[in-house]
Amino acid sequence: MKLEELQNQFQSQLLAQNCQDADWISASSRGLTAEFRLSIYQNAYRVRLAETLLDTFEHTANYITEELFETLAYAYIEGHPSTNTNIGMYGQHFPDYLKQELPSCQEVFEVAMMDWLLRRAFDGADSPALTKPVLEEIVASGRGISHLKLVPTVCLTTQKWNSLDIWHAVNLDKEASTATKLREPMTVMVWRKETSPHFRSLSHIETKAVELLQSGQSIESLCEILSEQFPDLDIATEFGALLVRWLDDEILSSNVD
Amino acid sequence: MFSFGLGLRTQHYHDFLNTQQPVDWLEILSDNYMVDGGKPLMMLDKIRERYPMVMHGVSLSVGSVNGLDTSYLKKLKALEQRVQPMWVSDHLCWSGVHGRKMHDLLPLPFTHEALEVVSRNIHQAQNALQRPLVLENVSSYLEFESSEMYEWEFLSALCRSTGCKLLLDINNIYVSAFNHGFSADDYMQGVPAESIAQFHLAGHQNNGDHLIDTHDHPVCDGVWELYRKAVKHFGPIPTMIERDDNIPPLEDLLSELDIARGIASEVINQRVAS
Repeated sequence: MKLEELQNQFQSQLLAQNCQDADWISASSRGLTAEFRLSIYQNAYRVRLAETLLDTFEHTANYITEELFETLAYAYIEGHPSTNTNIGMYGQHFPDYLKQELPSCQEVFEVAMMDWLLRRAFDGADSPALTKPVLEEIVASGRGISHLKLVPTVCLTTQKWNSLDIWHAVNLDKEASTATKLREPMTVMVWRKETSPHFRSLSHIETKAVELLQSGQSIESLCEILSEQFPDLDIATEFGALLVRWLDDEILSSNVD
Repeated sequence: MFSFGLGLRTQHYHDFLNTQQPVDWLEILSDNYMVDGGKPLMMLDKIRERYPMVMHGVSLSVGSVNGLDTSYLKKLKALEQRVQPMWVSDHLCWSGVHGRKMHDLLPLPFTHEALEVVSRNIHQAQNALQRPLVLENVSSYLEFESSEMYEWEFLSALCRSTGCKLLLDINNIYVSAFNHGFSADDYMQGVPAESIAQFHLAGHQNNGDHLIDTHDHPVCDGVWELYRKAVKHFGPIPTMIERDDNIPPLEDLLSELDIARGIASEVINQRVAS
């Protein structure tokens, strides 16, 4: 048998729900069937991916119980062969799968998204943060700043449920509050400060400001758009307050234009 | 050079940083550090300042008939530049074809065709890394009808055709010898002594009629005995304890490493005396 055919057949056996006998496997000196020996690899593939999902979505698993999580994880594995060399990326579509499988528990999707985004922030790209002393130095040097950039780990997600409270409760090993729909959707920002992933909810104006920074708008343009969208607010004061907080949170990159 | 190392695991980061531990080098799992940034790379850099390192990967898939994943190879090269390891190793295996990733060390048939495929892939990796690749023998649970030679003959031919080196996993020889009924002594006699760059020692799970390479147990007596024979046959080869699961306190692994040191010095002293 040619190597290509052998590897195709071997892989197909591992991805199939049940292993079959295979005449391309030698007889075992210990009397074990080919089917049994293939199942060692087949089982290891599933266990490894299930462990990865449990590790990535730890809070989600604790919230819905590990038993239910395991059932969903193994079902997901059957329908979603791994395609990324980095096994840590395997859960990329798992929150969407939970959304589909648990239509009456949409907060589970949101808790899973929190788990996923925090994990991505953990080993996301580095970028030195813009700090107050660095900003003061730039201003003192007479260099103008037209654009502010976000550090690469900044990510926004929208929540319609009290998923943040649930995530917090699970994180503290406390009983999670009952899932409740929020009066209006809330934006949560996830990022990494030094080596630790962080998150917090954003006001409407901060959500818009961060979205504008993400789209590469200049500070001038950002303030103009905010003035149009929030006519009742003093944008200079609001932007000043946001800037102080962003510097403290270290969400701005020191790489400024 | 006779030296002794341990696999670097996150549970022991602070042990290695807070105190200079009695190891000559650390082996990192390359794949764990092929990330964009954050704590893994920060800790790696800090620990690298204090310890020499070797890199050990699990996803190069040198046996894949589809060839190497060039983006993986590029990331591996970038990590190699960052770490400046003493050597870079991966496994004699394949991990998936046609875009699928099995995240496992799947065995190869020992055929002339496979030898060509693996040789081609090793040449590609060595050209990218600009150094010889070190290849580890894997544990396996099945063999193929199409095999035309023994594993040790395959490895020897590979060393000849590519100039690659070998990481001899003593536990994997033990496990595969048990599972397939070949002689571990024949295996060690059959691989080229001049190509051995490193030994791995690890634990496995004994299921009665087959052994599984789990790396979650201490090294068993049978593997220690085989290690003794390996030192006798190959001489002073850099040796490490590899634990990937059920990770014990660092002191436990250092104690296991001391057993390896004891066996090695006993054998070497006997060689000198005779």
